[in-house]
Amino acid sequence: MLLLAIDTSTRRVGVALGGARGLLGAVELGGPGIEEPPRHAERLAPAIEYLRTQVGVELGQVSAITVAIGPGMFTGLRVGVTTAKVLAQALRVPVIPIPSLDLLAYPLRQATGRLIAPAIDARRQEVYYAVYQPVPGGLQRATGYELGSPGDLANELAARGHDAIVCGDGAMRFRDAFDGLDRVELAGPGHAAPDLASLVELASGQYEREEFSSPADVQPLYLRRSDAELAWEARGAAAGW
Amino acid sequence: MKIRATSPADTRAVAHRLAALLRAGDVVVLSGELGAGKTTFAQGVAAALGVGEPVVSPTFTLVRLYDGANPPLAHVDVYRLETLQELHDLGFDELLDGDRIVLVEWGEAVTQALPADRVVVHLEPGPGPDERWITVSLHGAAWQARRAALEAALDTLRDHDGDAR
Repeated sequence: MLLLAIDTSTRRVGVALGGARGLLGAVELGGPGIEEPPRHAERLAPAIEYLRTQVGVELGQVSAITVAIGPGMFTGLRVGVTTAKVLAQALRVPVIPIPSLDLLAYPLRQATGRLIAPAIDARRQEVYYAVYQPVPGGLQRATGYELGSPGDLANELAARGHDAIVCGDGAMRFRDAFDGLDRVELAGPGHAAPDLASLVELASGQYEREEFSSPADVQPLYLRRSDAELAWEARGAAAGW
Repeated sequence: MKIRATSPADTRAVAHRLAALLRAGDVVVLSGELGAGKTTFAQGVAAALGVGEPVVSPTFTLVRLYDGANPPLAHVDVYRLETLQELHDLGFDELLDGDRIVLVEWGEAVTQALPADRVVVHLEPGPGPDERWITVSLHGAAWQARRAALEAALDTLRDHDGDAR
């Protein structure tokens, strides 16, 4: 079983090939510290091709494509999810969608006794976040996938009154919201982007259990922000509406 | 700051002066009726930033990216949008990450989605056929600190009578 894994839900482009026994290889480009526009669309396909060539496999050997579906960057997710769907359709293999916040929390699951709170930068001074608690054999999500201010997440953690570790590019960007908190530790830049090894590991388990989706059904996980209509007096006046 | 432009070339000249002061992360709202010269102004900004390709109105594409510009430029037109969510769905908030200059045509309709620090360029037709009044206003503390530099850059183009009105 060979999985192609794609994550474009943050400013980093991540691609991996692997299976139940781990990664054959991975490519990661860009990240929160890079001060130039992220180039998901230009980088993703060449990264896949480079990795495939270096690892020495043909795309025809891939058994399924797994993709991080967010919540995260709109522009990045569109590139990653579309690429996953198109490749899956062309190769006639299923897609295994995995939420990006799960992939930030999963590599920290051995932080026993602590809550794990990944936060992805949602712009506009907000983060996408969830809170997880380690349970034997894995993680359990204790909240929904939320959109809120870094302060909302800090309050959520304070209300729970447990030791916690926060991670993700949202935690790094808004570290001031968490720095002063008792019992809350900030994970380092190594935990800024969804973990590719975790993507392959979680997807391998789902593949074995035949929990996969048809390419047409896979959608990014969008958390809605606003239903406000635009104030269009200006256009109305100009167009005579 | 109010400036009288008597031709599209004049409008582009104003845009050039403004563009020279712009940095990645800056947001410029282009306001004015259809045909007021918003796209002409955007062309002036793009040319000043080194965009070689033709700059057309993004009314139907919604967003055009000019990554070859220095700094990179995004040209957005919200004219066809009905809800704020559509703007978020375009990845507009990510364009504001700070690695580009962002021009927003009809941006006054989406004020809630804009950063506090922004420049508003309002264009309106004057009495002559190609005449335009261009009003540049600055919003937010960061632009107040840059006001003197912008005024100096635009000074020789200003119509001081117009300004005093």
